[in-house]
Parts: sequence; structure tokens; C-alpha cells
Amino acid sequence: MNDILLEIKDLHARVEGKEILKGVNLTVRRGEVHSIMGPNGAGKSTLGAVLTGRPGYEVTEGSVTYQGQDLLALKPEERSWAGLFLSFQYPVEVPGVSITNFMKAAVNAHRKAAGKSELSAAEFLKLLKEKMAFVGMKGEFAKRELNVGFSGGEKKRNEIFQMAMLEPTLSILDETDSGLDVDALKIVAQGVNSLRNEDNSYLVITHYKRLLDYIVPDVVHVLKDGRIVRTGGRELVDIIEEKGYAGIE
Amino acid sequence: MMDKVYIIGKDSIPERISLSDSQEFRACFVALAGADAGMSLEIDIDGRDCLVDIAGVCLCTGEQKASVNVTVRHNCPGSRSYQQFLSIASGESRAYFDGLVYVAPGAGGTKAEQQSRSLLLDSRAFVEARPQLEIYADDVECSHGCTSGYLDEDELFYLRSRGIPEQQAKKFQMIAFLSPVLGRLDEELKQTIYDSLP
Repeated sequence: MNDILLEIKDLHARVEGKEILKGVNLTVRRGEVHSIMGPNGAGKSTLGAVLTGRPGYEVTEGSVTYQGQDLLALKPEERSWAGLFLSFQYPVEVPGVSITNFMKAAVNAHRKAAGKSELSAAEFLKLLKEKMAFVGMKGEFAKRELNVGFSGGEKKRNEIFQMAMLEPTLSILDETDSGLDVDALKIVAQGVNSLRNEDNSYLVITHYKRLLDYIVPDVVHVLKDGRIVRTGGRELVDIIEEKGYAGIE
Repeated sequence: MMDKVYIIGKDSIPERISLSDSQEFRACFVALAGADAGMSLEIDIDGRDCLVDIAGVCLCTGEQKASVNVTVRHNCPGSRSYQQFLSIASGESRAYFDGLVYVAPGAGGTKAEQQSRSLLLDSRAFVEARPQLEIYADDVECSHGCTSGYLDEDELFYLRSRGIPEQQAKKFQMIAFLSPVLGRLDEELKQTIYDSLP
């Protein structure tokens, strides 16, 4: 049995006074890929937001333990240092801040938190180029302003690039397939698949089967009205495809 | 790129400028955090085909006060003026912007744009922007815009979710806010502004 990485117990959360998560239980072990599927408004993105500490999401009950520590007590940046990563459904545009400067700040903050010295300019550049090549980004990409003028596919690829740079232990992919054409989807999935190993885990949030044809999950959960109503293996994906979410209780 | 950069409170800034046919005036005015700063500038466009292109960055911290007062008068037809002033106020500081664009009777074909945007970092910081247009001619294109607000929470969360500490993430947000003007300045001045961010 692998180590438990993440343990969510009876998690309830509210957004703007409305209860969205109504008692989620979920255990993720090292090396596993879990998929969270469900209809619109089921609470899938809320779960990702609560786990990464997005402001405006209030946990009212339950606990989240990540690598033995109380995840909910940590600030968003501390969760990142602890190895958590969220690939955003809608990555934010930050004009005037280059990918290079943004990533340098992020990587060095991670190193500082781990008690390591900052990377030299040359070491950083080497890492940057290596990871850019990994997601198929060209040289000028590093100089571009963060997400400004990026196409939908470029934004999602940029998220996977950041994931590759930060080497998280638990990655949450929030609707990474939305707005992607099949070529972009393949590039993103390829990136994720080559980062998969026995130490890191993934929570793949999606509506559709499409992404899961490329990133094959070990465990599939169906989230409906704020609760996980069914958990199974990958065969559950086909049942959902056939019956729709309405057919699953 | 800007032809001329004035640091308010340090460089001597002309109080009145007059442009004749085809003359251009491009300049950036910067108030760095720390000391009280004020400037008052009147520009008279007394010829055709002139261009006024001015920008400003105003950084206020603590109990600092900064005021920028700009008047652009289009006295002749067929010239253009562009203004963009950006302020960041933190602590209990106060930033004032007073801008007037005046288009005289007969100054048709004028194009004038005036923008003032403010970013408040603390609830006790204060900004007051008074953009004004006085137009007495037909056939002109004039616009002004004025906004003020706080740091965007979603943007801040995005940066922090990558492990960037809150204070540094906020600096990135300030750089993003100032980027329309910073992009027109040289590296040395940009660095001076970065170092002066609240």
C-alpha cells in the first residue's frame, strides 16, 4: 500500500454564504491519478479552490490532511511550497511581468522555503530552457508577459510548463481540457503523462471523457451536489459516457 | 520611449510650455515614494500638427502627499494630445490628480485623450482625480477616463498559488498596473521605480 498523500474528511465549504461542498471524503495515495467528474455546479472547481486556499471559500466543517499536516492552516504560497499545484481553468493575465521574472520568483521562493540557496542566473536559464522544450515552447516565450495575448491553448500549456518547473507532489488540473482543440489537448496530456511517477499524484477535474482518454486515471469519482456519490475504476468513465450524470446515484 | 523624464521634487519642471507648428513634447513625470511631491504644468498648443504625449507615475507611501496638476490647451486646430497618469497610494498617503483639457473655439480636428488610473493599497489611502474637458470647438475627438481600485484578488491568488510570497506578488501586481507607462521607460529608471514601490 502506498503512502497517503491527501486525506479529505467530511469537507463542507461555502462561497458567498452558499454551501457548495456538503461533506466530501477523498483519499489520494502517492503515485495515483484521480479524476473528479461531475455536472456543472457540482462543486468540482470549488474543491480545487478550497484545497489551494483561494480567498472567498470558507470551510465550515471537516479536515484536509496533506503529507501529515493540516493543509487548511497554510497560506496559498505555503501550500505551493509543500508541493501543491493548481492548473487554473482561467489563468490570469499579468502585463509587464515576464514569464522569466515570474518563474524566477516562484522557483527561488520554493528553494528558500526548502532551505536551499537561490539559483544563479545561468542555472535558472538552463532549467527554464529545459522545461520550455518539454512543453514545446520556443525561446521568445520566456520574454512574453505572463498570459497576455496567449491563446487558450497557450495558456493551458503555460500552466503545464509552470507545473514542470515547480515539480509538485500533488497537481490539481481544473478543467485543463476546456477550450482546447485536440492537438493542444494532446500536448498538455503528453506533458502530464511524462511528469507522472510513483511519488506524485494528480487530481484531474473534468466534465468530459475526452481528457481521460489521454490521461488515464486510476480512480474515478463522481461529484454531484457537493458530495462524492460514486467511486470506481476507469470503467466508471464509460458508464458516465453512456448514462450521463443523471444515471449515477 | 520618452524624450524626457522628470523626477518630481528633484528635477526642475517647466511650469509653462508653448508649442508652435509641428512641435512635439513627450515627457514622463515620476513621483517616487518618500517625500511630498507636487507639480503644475500648463501646455499651450499654439500651432498645427503638434503632439503632446505625457505620462506620469506617482508612488505615495506613509503620510506622503503628491499632487499633479496638468492643463493642456488646444488653441489651434489639428493637434493631438495624450495623457496617462498612474498613481499607487499606500498607508495614509494622498494622491491628487487635476487635469484639464481645453479646446478653444476654432480648434477643430483636435484629438485629445486623458487617462488617470489609481491603485489603492490600503483602506486609509486616498486618491482624488479630477479629469476635466472643456470643449468649445466642433469636429474634435476627445476622451477621458478615470478609474480607481484595489489589487485584484484573483490575480494575487494566482501569483501566490505558485509560491510567490504575498508581498512580492503584490509588487508584481503593481508592476502590471504601471506597465503601460513603464514599458516606455529605460531599464535604469524602471529599476528605480521598482525599488520605490510601496
